[in-house]
Amino acid sequence: MKRLMQLFLRRLGSLIATLVIMSFIIFLLVEIMPGDVAQMILGQSATDEAVAALREARGLNDPLLERYGRWVSGVAVGDLGDSIYMQGVSINSILWRRVGHSMVLALTAFLMFVPLSILLGVLAGVKEKKPADSVISFLGLATMALPEFVSGVILISIFAVKLNWFPIVSVIPIGESLFENLNIVVLPALAITFVMFGYVSRMQRSSMISVMNSDYVRAAVLKGMPRKYVIFRHALKNALLPTITIIGMNMGWLFGGLVVVETLFGFPGMGSLLMTAIKTRDVPLIEACVLLITVIYSVSTMVTDMMYSFLNPRIRFQGGQK
Amino acid sequence: MKDNILEIDNLHVRFSTFDGLFSAVNNVSLELKYNESIGIIGESGCGKSTLSFTVMRYLASNAQVDGAIRFKGENLFDKSEKEMESYRGDRIAMVFQNPYSSLNPSLTIGFQLDEVSMHHQNLNKIQAREATIKALEMMNLGDPKGIARRYPHQVSGGIQQRICIAMALLCKPDLMILDEPTTALDVTTEAVILDSIKELKDKLNMSLMYISHDIGVINKVAEKIVVMYSGEIVESGPKQKIFENPSHPYTRALINCMPRGGVVKENTKLNTIPGYVRKRGADEGGCPFADRCEKRNETCESLYGTKEIGEGHFAACDRAYATDVPDTFIEKLAPKKRNVDTDFDSEKELLKIEDLHKIYGARRKVYAVNGINFDVKPHSVLGIVGESGCGKSTTGHMVSGLFKPSKGRILFDDVDVSIAWNKRDKETLKNIQLIFQNPGRSLNPSHTVEKIIGRAMQKLANINDVKERREKIIEILRKVDLGKEYLKKKPRQLSGGEQQRVAIARALSISPSLIVCDEPTSALDVSVQASVLNLLNDLQLDTHVAYMFISHDLNVINYLSDYIMVMYAGKIAEYGKRDEVMENTHHPYTEALLSAVPEVDPTKQKKIIELEGQLPDPAKKITGCPFAGRCHKQVGEICEKEYPPMVRLSEDHYYFCHIKP
Repeated sequence: MKRLMQLFLRRLGSLIATLVIMSFIIFLLVEIMPGDVAQMILGQSATDEAVAALREARGLNDPLLERYGRWVSGVAVGDLGDSIYMQGVSINSILWRRVGHSMVLALTAFLMFVPLSILLGVLAGVKEKKPADSVISFLGLATMALPEFVSGVILISIFAVKLNWFPIVSVIPIGESLFENLNIVVLPALAITFVMFGYVSRMQRSSMISVMNSDYVRAAVLKGMPRKYVIFRHALKNALLPTITIIGMNMGWLFGGLVVVETLFGFPGMGSLLMTAIKTRDVPLIEACVLLITVIYSVSTMVTDMMYSFLNPRIRFQGGQK
Repeated sequence: MKDNILEIDNLHVRFSTFDGLFSAVNNVSLELKYNESIGIIGESGCGKSTLSFTVMRYLASNAQVDGAIRFKGENLFDKSEKEMESYRGDRIAMVFQNPYSSLNPSLTIGFQLDEVSMHHQNLNKIQAREATIKALEMMNLGDPKGIARRYPHQVSGGIQQRICIAMALLCKPDLMILDEPTTALDVTTEAVILDSIKELKDKLNMSLMYISHDIGVINKVAEKIVVMYSGEIVESGPKQKIFENPSHPYTRALINCMPRGGVVKENTKLNTIPGYVRKRGADEGGCPFADRCEKRNETCESLYGTKEIGEGHFAACDRAYATDVPDTFIEKLAPKKRNVDTDFDSEKELLKIEDLHKIYGARRKVYAVNGINFDVKPHSVLGIVGESGCGKSTTGHMVSGLFKPSKGRILFDDVDVSIAWNKRDKETLKNIQLIFQNPGRSLNPSHTVEKIIGRAMQKLANINDVKERREKIIEILRKVDLGKEYLKKKPRQLSGGEQQRVAIARALSISPSLIVCDEPTSALDVSVQASVLNLLNDLQLDTHVAYMFISHDLNVINYLSDYIMVMYAGKIAEYGKRDEVMENTHHPYTEALLSAVPEVDPTKQKKIIELEGQLPDPAKKITGCPFAGRCHKQVGEICEKEYPPMVRLSEDHYYFCHIKP
């Protein structure tokens, strides 16, 4: 356990370093984006003097590092600044609500695709080259080949337009919260499941096949263990390791990068907020969104790594050798 | 019939592949009595493992089986998969070649043993753990409770294999199948494990089916021997008869290509078997060995049948019993005349190692090599031998520049080259070459043979003209007995022996003065090993190159070396001229190593010095004698406390021990 703690602290250190570097890169990127913030606030018809005055007032003429320092020290205490497009509205008041929505969507999708693809992946791997495997592998390839905006449209036309089970657009009526409108989550989550299913089930299938062909599974079979027992007690734990890595690598995307899906369904999550921010050149909002996505990516990668080393005794007890 | 535990009747196993049906086991019949041990021997690809897996009914889905396997009178092919489960692990247990990969890395050792008795004997968890501890104790493992709690990667290879054997013993099986169980282990560990297998067989009244390519190992454990070639039994009979009067040409060739005591490069050229084991089609008749047999005639292609030569001794060769002079089949080959002067004393050393150290890791230090001094004379062969983990490969890698030494000097031709390879000059790089253990992995799979050999010439010998280079490559290929047609081949199109020849050709192509050979024959079959050893020997006579030959196999070292250096825990145990070290052994570790080498001649049974325990922890700095903990001749406290002084017996024979000669 001491080793695991050590590993955790080391990972935490590199996480913080990553975030510091990333925050600077994000700041620089937004900096070199074309367009002047002051011009944008005042509109096309503003006079040069007014623009210059606003630049001065907002501190936009200060050196780069000074502005970066101001932004970072604000972020560190939780002040993400004000939105430019929605003047005077603090980013904190818009962003976190959207983050909450995204979390609900990601969690729903997660609960849908993880058990489904692991289960079917294991089944395909165990029944390698049998009909069940062919069907599952074909499904995986087919859903993977369809981009989410295509599968999303198909889902909408079947479940929303034809069957009328779910709303066409995932909008929350004003004054209501997401929890009163949970049915709007289903279709976007399904679209995400379509994307993820192929990846995860194929990974699970191939790792299951390689584990089933390993010497220790052969040894377990030849010890007289029943097949089901061999699959679930001997093979599964080892076969899950690569899958966990793949899922973990996609967690960041799932929580923060669903721009296409959210835009397609009009879902009020972080992805669509980022899309709006970019369209309206709302610089502080872009910075806040991208930074948050970076945090989510890094944290989920770290969690995956920790979980991987917890499940793999070769890492957990490395150096325990006598 | 009642006294046979296992009867195999006309067993055929065929695999259907894209290239058609081929036969892995062909018309095999054998009987195994209760409490009898049978040894199955043959090179890789001879169907030994397929045979054993067929007994367990564990075959790939493209296998077609014909014949019968009767275990205690019941045909296993009539059993359902469910019924087979009650045989596997309970009545028939199996131990595999590679203990590390045969244990599940994510489950504790205890769990993996407990489940066997929980399934077969319906014990509860506590009873099962008791049985587990008992089985581990039977294998002489200290602290069985602690071991049961550990994960497989936390114990050494020798202990892993003992755990696997303990696992097979749990239900006291009637038949135990061992598939090359000691091939991946050191000789000293092998000796201990073979001994406990023999002991347990008598204690538990088991029958054994022991599969190996090593005649010496088979000699130790088996009472009856079956020689397999290309899926067929070519000879079978009691051990004594087979060793005294090997009748099938393949058996004779196999026994003759093993280097062993007394066989050295000056007096013998090792016998080789040209060609390789061919995949046989399903309907092919005739003698499978015909295409490699030196004594074949026209009848071999068609005629094939087993005949009884002596009591219980069968051989599948027409002429097996036509003669009673054993040497008519295999002529002793005379070695190439040695024109190199074997008196190295007067020569100036080519390589001089002074106080060489290698410490791996920064925080968790691993002391791999701890201050060794030796030198290599020009045109000589220095054999370095020791158990895995003794630092012999690290030493070789430092000489070739793959690692930079932590301390000490490597003087090559009076130039200090104790630096990493990328800092060495071209001349040194050219003069010190390296041959690796596994040619399949050390040759770039996407390059042709021409490119592999040519690259070294281009980079280090400045032969830039394509035509000139090709001519030189063809010449060097001819030297390693490969033809022009190999130029455009890629490594995966070659057999293991051919790959190693290419690796040797690559090393020789730029005429170095020293080649570091890191276990070059360990991954090869005995007949291929013999041909590679012959080749290395002949090439040395032609080119006058010096070898630093690293191997764990004392027989191989004995065959090829002029000098032998025995290493233990990063230190030199004994060093000297070959004959002096082999015949006038002084260090207790060298004695133990020599005694552990399995004897090929059944008439000579020697006493084995069993080494208990493991190598000392390489993470600790040792002040005393590193071998003290395992030594059978320990003289007292001084061994643990003080590093032994060098005892010089002659100009170049010395050892490190507190015991004076």
